[in-house]
Amino acid sequence: MLDQPYSRGQDASLPVVVLAGEVDLAAAPSLHSELQSLISAGHSTVVVDLLEVTFLDSIALGVLISALEQCRELDGELHLVLTEPRILRVLEITGLMNTFPIHSSHDELRSAVGEVSRP
Amino acid sequence: MIETFDDLARTEESESIELVFPARADLVVLARFTAATIAARAGFDVEEIEDLRLAVDELCVSFGPMDDRACIRMELGRSDDTVTIVASFDQVPSPAAGGAAKTLDAVSWEQAIELSERLLDSLTDAHGRETRAGRPTAWLRKRHAAADR
Repeated sequence: MLDQPYSRGQDASLPVVVLAGEVDLAAAPSLHSELQSLISAGHSTVVVDLLEVTFLDSIALGVLISALEQCRELDGELHLVLTEPRILRVLEITGLMNTFPIHSSHDELRSAVGEVSRP
Repeated sequence: MIETFDDLARTEESESIELVFPARADLVVLARFTAATIAARAGFDVEEIEDLRLAVDELCVSFGPMDDRACIRMELGRSDDTVTIVASFDQVPSPAAGGAAKTLDAVSWEQAIELSERLLDSLTDAHGRETRAGRPTAWLRKRHAAADR
């Protein structure tokens, strides 16, 4: 659990929210407001980097799903970048493995986003 | 086999810890830490300890938005290869509650409660929710997998 569990960057011209450590009930409000601020600023597609996340609970997942739904309403997407087996397991248990586009690296993300945007 | 809260109350615990903390999101980490400690003492492996840490967090999520005017009372017990945790919330959460409730939307909470149930189904051997003495109460039981071998 961190007071400010994220930093912001860019990848393939998309905004990236980088999370680290334990993303739980305490960190979820910060994540929620960060994602809302990006979506409100007109970003319909957002990347959430979970590569350094060691713990993710249902409330953090709820925030991600809520943001995903908003992105899709704007014809966008919410991409996840992660490799941590425990976090993948949480997504699997909750039946969300096919809900989000999941990438194992930023290279893979760039390649997928490039393919998506190609005519 | 433990199927209900009453079954749970009849079990004899060889070690028991009581933890009481204000119902604040940033203090739920205390529950995870204590659960991990008692799981390690029960011989759980690293994966099982991580499962229990997540499960106890989900017990807290199941109470809904935190409210620091209330407290969470948690009893964590172990007997040989089994850990049992009973958590109660000493005040019914209200929409005007503090903490996460101020900044999280209803959609996030609705999603979380449903996902929390799925996680508890998968991570524990048994779990449940009921009202005891007027307090929302949630419990779980998890057995050390090696005990089945």
